[in-house]
Amino acid sequence: MNLSLLRRRTLAHFGSLRTTLVCLALLAAAVAAGLVGGGVLVPALAVAIGLLALNLMAALVLHPAFRRQLPLLVAHLALLALVVLVAVGRLTALDGRFELTQGLPFDGLIEAKAGPLHHDRLSRLDFRHEGFEIHYAPGRKRGATRNPVTWTDGEGRVQRAVIGDHRPLVLDGYRIYTSSNKGFAPLLTWMPDGGEAVSGAVHLPSFPVHELQQSREWTLPGGQVAWVMLQFDDKLIDPTGPASFRLPDSHRLVLRVGDQRAELAPGGRVDIPGGTLVYERLSTWMGYRVSFDPTLPWLLAASLLAALSLAWHYTQRFVAESPPTPVRPVVPGGRPEMDHA
Amino acid sequence: MLETATLWAALCAYALVAALAFAGPMARTSLHRRCATALIAALVLHTLSLGLRWATLGHGPFTTLHEILSSNLWSLSLVLLVACWAVREVRSVVIAAVPVLLVLGTWLLMAHPGAGHLPATYDTPLLYIHTLVGKLYLGLLLVAVALGSVPLWRRTAWGRRRWTGDPDDRRFDQMAHRFAAYALVFDTLMLIVGAVWAQDAWGRYWAWDPLESWAFASWLALAGALHARATLRPPPWHFGLWLAGSFALAFLTFFGVPFISTAPHKGAV
Repeated sequence: MNLSLLRRRTLAHFGSLRTTLVCLALLAAAVAAGLVGGGVLVPALAVAIGLLALNLMAALVLHPAFRRQLPLLVAHLALLALVVLVAVGRLTALDGRFELTQGLPFDGLIEAKAGPLHHDRLSRLDFRHEGFEIHYAPGRKRGATRNPVTWTDGEGRVQRAVIGDHRPLVLDGYRIYTSSNKGFAPLLTWMPDGGEAVSGAVHLPSFPVHELQQSREWTLPGGQVAWVMLQFDDKLIDPTGPASFRLPDSHRLVLRVGDQRAELAPGGRVDIPGGTLVYERLSTWMGYRVSFDPTLPWLLAASLLAALSLAWHYTQRFVAESPPTPVRPVVPGGRPEMDHA
Repeated sequence: MLETATLWAALCAYALVAALAFAGPMARTSLHRRCATALIAALVLHTLSLGLRWATLGHGPFTTLHEILSSNLWSLSLVLLVACWAVREVRSVVIAAVPVLLVLGTWLLMAHPGAGHLPATYDTPLLYIHTLVGKLYLGLLLVAVALGSVPLWRRTAWGRRRWTGDPDDRRFDQMAHRFAAYALVFDTLMLIVGAVWAQDAWGRYWAWDPLESWAFASWLALAGALHARATLRPPPWHFGLWLAGSFALAFLTFFGVPFISTAPHKGAV
C-alpha cells in the first residue's frame, strides 16, 4: 500500500460519520464529567469540539454528496463558524465585576478575566450610578431593579439611562449589568495630621443577604487597620410584606481602631493616632457585572443559520420523500431504508 | 377554587384518555374518535384552569414545579392532539405517549399548588419564545418516541397483536425520524433563545451550569441518535430505543434539574 493511499484512507476514516459519532460521544463524556465533577472541564470540551470540527472539515473534503445538499452544508458550516467564533470570543472577551458607590466614578474592576487579545478600553469609561430602587415581594423575593446611571459620551456630553435586570448599559462594546449584590456604604474622610484629607467609602457586605453581618475591616491611608459596623433598629426589608430597599431612618457607625472604640452619627469625628476620621454620611453601593465579547451578534447569526438550515434541509428531504412509503403488512424487526441525518 | 375544580376535571379527562387508549387499537375509528374527544375535553378544561391561575397570579405558569408540570402536561397533550389530527400513524400510538402524560398528571397531584415568585429577569418576551420552542421540542420528541416505540413493542406478542393491521415498522421508523428531526430543530432554537436570555439576564450566554449542561447533553443525545440512524442503519427498534433515551434525558432536564440543583441558573434569577 503506498503512502498516498494510506493517507487517503486515514482521511476517509477520520471524515466518516462513524467518527462523528465517536466525537459526539467524547463531547457528551466531557459534559458529563463536568457535571459529575461540579465544574467545567475546558480542555476536555475543547479537545472534543476541536475533533468534531476537524471531522466536519474532512467530511466536507471527502464527501461530494455532502456538498451537494446545500441546506445541510450550510447548517454544518454554521456550526463550524460557531466553534471559530466562540474561540475568537474567548480570546478577545472580558468578564469582570466591580462595585460602585453612589455618585462616585468607576475606578476599576474587582475581578476580571480577560482574553489575551483583549484591549482594555473600560478604564476610559466615565460611569457613575445615581442610586437604585429595588422592590421586594413578601418573603423578601427580589423584584425589579431600577438603577439610574450617568456617563460621559465621546463628545463630552453627560448621558443618562436606567438599567437593571435584563437591561444592561452598553458602552463602547462593554455590557454593564446590575447584580443582586448591593448594600450600604459609609462615606469617611481621613484627615492626617499635617497632611491632605482623603475621602472614601467602605462597602459593607451585601444587604439584605448579610443583614446580620454589616461590618467590615479596612486599612486607613496611614496604615492603621480599622473596623466599622453599621447599627440600626429599623426592620428595613420586612419579610412579612412588600418592601423596598432604603437607608435606615437613624443609625450609628461603630468604629474600632486598635483599643479605641467610638459610635459616630453622620458628621461625627474621632481623633485617632495619626489624624482624625470623619464619618460624613451613609450611602449605597451597587455591584455590577461587565462583559465584552465582540462576537455576540455573529454567534447569534451563526446559530440561527444552523437551526434554520437544518429545518430547511429536513423539510426539503421529507417533501421529496412524499408520497409516503406505502403501508405494508407488519414485519417485526424489519430493517428500514436509511436516509441522511 | 374554580381553578382547582377545572384542573381536577381536566385530570379526570386525561385519565379517560388513558383508559380509552389502553382499551384497544386506535385503528378502530370509533375508539379513536372517543379518545380524541376526551383529549379535547381535557385540554379545554386544562386551558381554563391555567387561564384562571394566570389571571389570579398575574403571571403565567413559569415558576413552581406545579406550574411547570401543569403547563407541560397541557402542551404535550396539545402537540399529541395536533399530531393525531395531522398524521394518521400517530393515532395508533397514543397508548405509547399516554404513560408520560399519566406520570405528569400524577406528579402534578403531589406538587404543592402554592404561588411562586416571578423573578424580575422573567419580565421579557424571551420567556415566551423560550417556553414555546421548548414545549414544541418536548412535544415533538414525545410523538417521535411513541412512533419509534412500535417496532420495539412488536418484538413482544402483545405488541404484535396490538398493532396488527397498522403500517409496518419501516413506516413508523420513518415517521419517528421526521418528528425527531423537527424536535432537534426546536431544541436548537430553545438553546439559542436561552443563551440570548442568559446574556441579557446574567451577562453570559453560556456558563455550563447544571441546567445548561443537561440541556446540551439532551441536544447531543438527539443529534447523536439522528446521526447514528444515518450512519449505522440500525433496525427500527434500535432507533426507537435511542429516541426513548433522548426523551428520558430531556424529561430529567425539564422536570428534574431545575428543581433539584441549587447551583446557578435557578439561583441566578
